Amino acid sequence: MTEKKPAVSRTRMRLNQLIKGAREFAAIYRSSTPGLVGLAILMFLVLTAVFAPYISPYDPYTRVDRPLRPPSDKYLLGTNDIGQDIFSELIYGTRVSLTIGFLAALFTVVIGTLVGVVSGFMGGSVDEVLMRFTDVIMILPSIPLLILLMAIFGRQSYLIMILAISITGWTGTARMVRSSTMSIKERTYVEASKAIGAGEGHIILKHVLPNVSPLIIATMIYQVAGAMMSEAGLSFLGLGDPGHKSWGMVLHYAQTSGGWYANQGYPAWWWIIPPGLLIAFTVASLVLIGQTMEEIINPRLRMR
Amino acid sequence: MAYIIKRTGSRVITFIVVISLIFFLARSTGTDPFERYLSEDPRIPLAQIQRLRARFGLDKPLYLQYFDFIKSTLQGEFGYSLYYKRPVFDIVMERLPWTLFLLSISIILSTIVSFVVGVYFAWKRGTRTDILGTNFCMFIRSTPHFWLGMILLLVFAYYYPIFPLYGARTPGITYANTFEYIKDILWHATLPLTTLLLRQVGMYVLYMRNSTVEVLGEDYMVTAKAKGVPAWSLMFHHAARNAMLPMVTVTAMRFGFMVNGAILTETVFSYPGTGRLIYQAITNDDFFLLQGTFFITSITVLAANLIADIICGMLDPRIKI
Repeated sequence: MTEKKPAVSRTRMRLNQLIKGAREFAAIYRSSTPGLVGLAILMFLVLTAVFAPYISPYDPYTRVDRPLRPPSDKYLLGTNDIGQDIFSELIYGTRVSLTIGFLAALFTVVIGTLVGVVSGFMGGSVDEVLMRFTDVIMILPSIPLLILLMAIFGRQSYLIMILAISITGWTGTARMVRSSTMSIKERTYVEASKAIGAGEGHIILKHVLPNVSPLIIATMIYQVAGAMMSEAGLSFLGLGDPGHKSWGMVLHYAQTSGGWYANQGYPAWWWIIPPGLLIAFTVASLVLIGQTMEEIINPRLRMR
Repeated sequence: MAYIIKRTGSRVITFIVVISLIFFLARSTGTDPFERYLSEDPRIPLAQIQRLRARFGLDKPLYLQYFDFIKSTLQGEFGYSLYYKRPVFDIVMERLPWTLFLLSISIILSTIVSFVVGVYFAWKRGTRTDILGTNFCMFIRSTPHFWLGMILLLVFAYYYPIFPLYGARTPGITYANTFEYIKDILWHATLPLTTLLLRQVGMYVLYMRNSTVEVLGEDYMVTAKAKGVPAWSLMFHHAARNAMLPMVTVTAMRFGFMVNGAILTETVFSYPGTGRLIYQAITNDDFFLLQGTFFITSITVLAANLIADIICGMLDPRIKI
């Protein structure tokens, strides 16, 4: 009974430490204007995605008026070639694009961390094989590989897309996690804990992962941006899930239908400018957040 | 020499790994063409499907099929396109020059432009030019290739019809002379090239700027300044030269990204390169064309990567292991 007591207080201690760390982090983050701008844009988009059914004036999958109506009070961004409201399409698209981006980034980071920690910790031939394999995927052009993977798995599902993006996107994370695992492994406190008989599992869980995790979180933010770009590209090429229209798919429909045949010459501006701006602002906001986080983790960058 | 052999060897291994991966993935998920395209047709008797399978070696055990597959892939046999009814290799080879044309010109131009602009921004660091410029680059870097292309088309081919809406040359025209031909091709290539160029410059200007700013803080820069080296020579001879090394290393890794850009850009401009071929293979559900295009694109990327690696090794003696 008496032995359990210190365990409880240790957990509390650790929790307090975590809260303290988070407070410090927030304090530094608040001083960075670009970081705050990025966070504000992202929060706005996340809220839009969550409350999509309440915000959007129409159902994005049913036709509401004549095709290709220009923007007006009734249709803020006009209608597309089959008379669907583009504004509503984009609001629901926020949901799809952000979900795919965040989930794909999550899986990407999980795979990358696993490979990186194993490779960096084991070293030797395991490391050699894993890093060769990482190089293979890193050098190859990702979009053809993604398309081929989606063709093999059977396409038209956004879950498959998330899977394919995570299978091809983990290489950068793996390399980074590997190099920091290798440096942590050599630190004296790890030696000390090895000397008192700690197993490999203990060292990985208690020393390596906690020390790598800030880096992993910053990487994940960048990965969300990367995954959203891949998603947009794939959807634009027509590999998106027709039941879940994303921003990239709105552009796909703009490119493939409507305007070209309706004697218009090119799809209407209200159909192509807004989705691209949304993608650009989201990616830019994520990059700003990622940079700010990186600066907090690695103070040397702040000097610039 | 040993360095070159080692690098070539690792690229060949890379390619074999990729072939194997794709082979096993494709087989394990049942993309057997006869299963996929014929078995649902009730008019074709089972015996005939079996005979066809035997003829194409699909009844053999998996490992034998695997060796057959590697052998034929290395010989450049990628099978027949289901849509064009022609060998995949021939189709891809017709399209490859267009993509290589776009890529090589945009790589050369973007390297020069980002070098100069990056050094210029670094020189003017902290001023309004630098802040505006880097923010603009940040924005360009965040836009998808295809959207940039669509906007260029909308403005410069639709609202102000200066450039053509699609294609690589005017259809059904006979050229009076070679000069006319080149002019027509360049006229068609302007917008796709601009798209690729803008996007790449957006990325590499930032790299170049940041690495130059870093070099500017070095002690030898202060020494050079104290010696009275003129400003332009300070920037280009002392700072940019050293700042270039990270750029050169990035170049080796960027071919894959470039191919991605080419695929999206070609799709927007209906440019007849391999990128558009991939897009058509998706829309026509043409698995073998997709696979073949992927392999040939990968070989090209690996080769370009190898050349860049060798050049890097020559420029920077530290890389040689």
